[in-house]
Formats: sequence, structure tokens, C-alpha cells
Amino acid sequence: MIGIIDYGLGNLRSVLGAVEKLGHKGAISANASTLMLADKLILPGVGAFGDGMRNLVERGLIEPLNELVLDRKIPILGICLGFQLLSQGSEEFGEHAGLGWIPGTVKRIQPEDETLRVPHVGWNDFEQTADCILFDGVPDPALFYFVHSYHLEADPGITVGTCTYGSPLVAAVQSGNVFGTQFHPEKSQQHGLKVMQNFLERA
Amino acid sequence: MLRKRIITVLTLNDGTLFRTKLFTPDYRYTLNFVDAWSVDEIAILDVTRGDNPDRKKFFSAVADFAQTCFVPISVGGGIRKLEDVNRYMVAGADKVIVNTGALENPKLISDIANAYGSQCVVLSIDAAKRENGYEAMSHFGSVSTGHDPATWAKYAQSLGAGEILITSIERDGALQGYDLDLCAEVADAVSIPVQVLGGCGNWQHMTAAFALDGVSAACTQNIYHFTEQSIASAKKYLAAKGVPVRV
Repeated sequence: MIGIIDYGLGNLRSVLGAVEKLGHKGAISANASTLMLADKLILPGVGAFGDGMRNLVERGLIEPLNELVLDRKIPILGICLGFQLLSQGSEEFGEHAGLGWIPGTVKRIQPEDETLRVPHVGWNDFEQTADCILFDGVPDPALFYFVHSYHLEADPGITVGTCTYGSPLVAAVQSGNVFGTQFHPEKSQQHGLKVMQNFLERA
Repeated sequence: MLRKRIITVLTLNDGTLFRTKLFTPDYRYTLNFVDAWSVDEIAILDVTRGDNPDRKKFFSAVADFAQTCFVPISVGGGIRKLEDVNRYMVAGADKVIVNTGALENPKLISDIANAYGSQCVVLSIDAAKRENGYEAMSHFGSVSTGHDPATWAKYAQSLGAGEILITSIERDGALQGYDLDLCAEVADAVSIPVQVLGGCGNWQHMTAAFALDGVSAACTQNIYHFTEQSIASAKKYLAAKGVPVRV
């Protein structure tokens, strides 16, 4: 069972729809005892960083998730805000600490080219920068859907792909069992579904 | 490179497509078509009138789209408070579109941005042409607000809006092309992405809109002209004209 973590802000149904389309059983849950039974976890993402972390804390999910991800090494895929929450923290609407599972911090996108508008919204080229099973069978580059005002400044050692918006932005990371994409695979048609399938079946 | 988007706008009345003049308004028919389109994004608007319409059928329509269409979905209609947004997000929206609710209470924009992030808030402006410019209208374009659309867009951005959807009331359904003066005024006033709606009748109209700085999406509502092949052929045309689109 794929545990889709409900922290009150994600586009959960879209993620569940993609999981089911790929023939897997998913469960949307904010309940630690349900998530403990998951073979894999997805931390979806639409929302603000501070609210996301606060909701995870209020639902009592931090300790169970630490156990699942850090001790039991359950594969987890963070998407968009979920991807950013994997990091050490964000400056969005004030300073906030993150889950701290991957090195890096979240900063506002500030393109030097003023014709580039923020948020960065739309389909942009994703380029693979290191091998990662998420992108097996995915063309390089491939178009994925992005929608974000903040981006993760991640350690190059865990970066597996970038997209360019003024300058290169980290668009996917992997650190052991922790995976994350800044783009929305569940919203990126065939290439996005392939990424999700790779996570569900090969991670 | 970030691509220019083509967004299909669906207006539903009590869960049924509103603009289906040429064939029986069968919701599933549309759903299947939208899924097959090479559309970049879908906007779904509830235009059910009344003080407190039952939106059950609308929510169910949004949920169906969210479970079957793997492109972003923005949803609007009757949003007045944060709980309304929550219901749409639970139904499967990726972003919400606010219009009258934000005109009545601009703080709604910052409330949504604080809870869901700016990228989640699309401010929709229905603009009517006036002797000396334009006026933002509320309540499905029926009530004057006295606000200049460009000024309102700029203020909305300062409150946390992530995108602007600018609609020309006069051009809506006229197929005579987008109101480029209006689009340019609004796009120049803000530094967030702008979607344009109202008047698209052929591919040249999209090219003209995309030639404006800051127009990141061309919306089309006319579902019986823009069917499966036509979105693909629109993109082929745009690509040939040098507009970066997802083909």
C-alpha cells in the first residue's frame, strides 16, 4: 500500500488518482498507525512551507515519519512543497525548519532577468544531471509541470536533475530512500506517470 | 525553456457544461475529450447562480477531472472564505480562481496565499470597456466596482496573488481576438504570470497575445471550436511561428 500523507494542504486526490491509474493501492491518511503499514510514502505538495510543517507537527506525524524514513528506510517521494519539506528549512513567510532529511534550504526564486515572472508556472524542460531510477525510460530532457515561488538550494551531491529558469534550479533529488521532485509528476501526463511508476515499482 | 500554456476553460452550471450548444451536454463526453487533448492546463468554473447554490455536482465533476486528467486543474466559483478553498482542494484542485470574493474582501487573497502559497491563488478579473479605459466587474460581470483592472491586479499581487486571469467581457464569445490593450495594461502592471481569456477565435489570436510581455497562458472556452485536433494544431501553428509551446 502506498501511503499518501495527508497534512491538510496537498492536492491529495490528484496523487491518489495517479497511483491508482498505475495499478497500485493508495491510502490518503493523516494517521500514523495507517502510514506505518505503508510500503512506500508520498508527501504531496500544494501549500505554504510553514503551514505544512505546523500541520505535520499538529498531526503528530514527525516522529512516526522519522522512524519510517530514517530507521526503516521506507522509500518516500516528496512532490513540490512535499519535496521542499524534506529539507532543513525555508524562508517562505518567515523562517521555518523542515524535516531535515536532505541537506539544503528553500529560498525564493529571484531571476536576474526581470522578464521572468515568479511564480515559475508551466511546463519546463527537466534535464537529468545524475543517474536516478525515477527517470529510467524518461526522455532527457523532458517537459514537466512546475508551479512554485520558492526553490530548494540542495547539495549538488544529491541533485539528480535541474530545470532552467534564469539560472538552473534543482528539480529532483535523491538521497538513499528519500526522493523528491520540484515538478508535479502527477500533473505531467505520460512522463510524470512514468516517474511515479518508477518510484512505485523500482524505488 | 518555460513553455507558453494553452488552458481550456470549462464553465459548469449545476455540474453540466454551460456552453454546449451544438451537442447534448454530456459531462463524461467532455471529460474524455479533455483527457485526450494536448491541453496544458484546465480551468473549471462553477457559474451556478443563486445565493447559496448546492455545489455537490460541481465538486463531483472536479473530483472526476482530478482523478482522470493528469494536467493541472484550477477551480473557481463562489469562493468567499478559506473553507471554500479547502473544499475545492480536497476535491482535487491544484489552484483556485477567485474573483467576486476577492473584490468584496481583498484579504481573502492573502489568507489563501498564507495557507496554500501564492502559486495557488489565481485572481480572475472580468473587465468591461469604458470610455477612458476599463472597469473590473463583479458577480459574473454584472456589478460595477469602480476599480481599474491593472491597478486591482497590482494590488492583488501585493496581497499574494500568484497569477492573474484577465477576461474581456466584450470579447467573450465574440471570436474577434483577445483585447490586446487590456491584456497589455494588466500584464505590464504586474510581475506575476498573466492568463488571458475572451475572444480567441483562431490561432493568430493566440500568437498576438503571446507576443505581449508577461502573457504566459492563452485561455479558450469555446469547446465546440477547440476540440481534440484543434489544440494540437494550434500548438503546431504556434510552434511554427516561434512561440515556445509543449507539442
